[in-house]
Amino acid sequence: MVALLKTSISNLKMRTPVLLASGVLGSSYGTINRVIEETLVGAIVTKSFTKEPRNGYPTPIVAYVKSGLLNAVGLANPGYKMLKELLRNVSRNVPIIVSIASSTPQEFAEIAEYAEEAGANAVELNLSCPHVKGHGLEVGQDPEYVGKIVENVKSVSNIPVFVKLGYSDKVVEVAKRAEKAGADAIVAINTIRAMAIDVYAKKPILSNTYGGLSGPAIHPIAVRIVYDLYKVIEIPIVGVGGVMDWKDAVELMLAGASAIAVASAIAVKGLNVINEIVEGIQKYLENEGFGKISDIVGLAHKN
Amino acid sequence: MRRGRIVKVINEAESIKSFILKVNIDKVIPGQFVMVWVPGFEEIPLSPSLHENSYLRLTVAAVGATTEKIHEMNVGDSLYIRGPYGRGFNLNLRGKYLLVAGGYGAAPIIYALKELREKGKSATYAIGAKTSSKLLFVSEARSIGAKVLITTEDGSEGVKGLITDVIKDIIEEYDNVLACGPEKMLYKIMNMCLRANVKCQLSIERYIKCGLGICGSCALDPKGLLVCKDGPVFYAEELIGTDFGKYYSLPSGAKIIVR
Repeated sequence: MVALLKTSISNLKMRTPVLLASGVLGSSYGTINRVIEETLVGAIVTKSFTKEPRNGYPTPIVAYVKSGLLNAVGLANPGYKMLKELLRNVSRNVPIIVSIASSTPQEFAEIAEYAEEAGANAVELNLSCPHVKGHGLEVGQDPEYVGKIVENVKSVSNIPVFVKLGYSDKVVEVAKRAEKAGADAIVAINTIRAMAIDVYAKKPILSNTYGGLSGPAIHPIAVRIVYDLYKVIEIPIVGVGGVMDWKDAVELMLAGASAIAVASAIAVKGLNVINEIVEGIQKYLENEGFGKISDIVGLAHKN
Repeated sequence: MRRGRIVKVINEAESIKSFILKVNIDKVIPGQFVMVWVPGFEEIPLSPSLHENSYLRLTVAAVGATTEKIHEMNVGDSLYIRGPYGRGFNLNLRGKYLLVAGGYGAAPIIYALKELREKGKSATYAIGAKTSSKLLFVSEARSIGAKVLITTEDGSEGVKGLITDVIKDIIEEYDNVLACGPEKMLYKIMNMCLRANVKCQLSIERYIKCGLGICGSCALDPKGLLVCKDGPVFYAEELIGTDFGKYYSLPSGAKIIVR
């Protein structure tokens, strides 16, 4: 890969600034290796692992809406004890960031410790799942509680700790508190709590009624939140939310993201969308006369 | 998602019914699947047994809460359909076709058979079931001019035994094998075809949740093949060295040994 796309976040070196977001194809080593081999992905964020195995919600777990995708997978995962086998079998050509979902500071730390021992390059604390009670947004909107979780995880971790926050009125305050507690990066945003009703069935489509909205609908919200975060925090930001093409990616970077992550676009365009975005960013940098990724990070803030 | 109204219900065999829906979706290639939602119940992947004009035939075995609910439905009731998804059978390969169905795996097989016969291709329909009352689409296959081979495990019709025992002696007479049914059966057929150097396409099953290639529930390690996107029909060569025939992933992603 050309040097100009090289990115680093905390101590993680990435070949490109385009990450696979948590939740998409990130729970089996076969799919993770396929993403690493078939695309220029910069790093992988795994599906969220919880203490106990979870079957997730009954189907329907997804619904297409006009401007995006709704999902309520329900944190399906085989439990954190499977991380050893997963990490033993994944390609180490790119950093593997293990996403963790939990509801208590102790358990977050316990799983983070295990993930590090299993070979994770970083952990991402999912503090923003919009559709599992006690595992997300409720937790992620309380600055003090987030501070406590991050402090607990940091006290047992030697690898970078990313904190994934969702859309809420308190997102900036929470990010500041996470930074103070030692977080190494903020990942923003998660899907936004939403729902859809089929007009003929006259019922909510998702079995869980509520799900998380992703895709183009939430992109401008992600841009706003990354922009606001960049003004007040020093640690790097990974921008996530409706990145469907290279322009969306560059927009998040101009707002302040050091890297971006892709999810829903894969449902629409397949895995190759990662390469399209990488190539688009590269052309943009060349055409606009920039020598490296960091030249455009937060550029929209400068006069 | 499209509403499909049931216009006809057919009792095909013991605990197996076909539902003909009028629904406006893209043309389903034999072997592709649709997601079928029953409000208040689950959304399940089904591979149609026919799609003609705007009529979709879903052949459903009552095996769980959602399929049992479908079995209670009548003309005028609705199912909610999205798709078609995935890769279906390639019916444009040269030569003679052997189509093998195990139990209700006959659904996509009979649809493939019909299209092959319409293309003027020579095709044999080999169907295996536990007992004669569970055999599917035998007269339909005969009516479209296919040679029919039958096995039942209890010997109540056709040859007593497994369909794999019958086809193993004739497989080399064919250029192509298409199969759908229990995984153990498919795994045997895959190995038979690889040994006999017969082109083989298998429609396989995993937990399909999203159908869009994102949730990863239906992935096959170590290649990361997605049954919902890269399949559900795979060539035998693609499945070599994968979990197929060995491990089955549960809804959590934990694996169990295929029995």
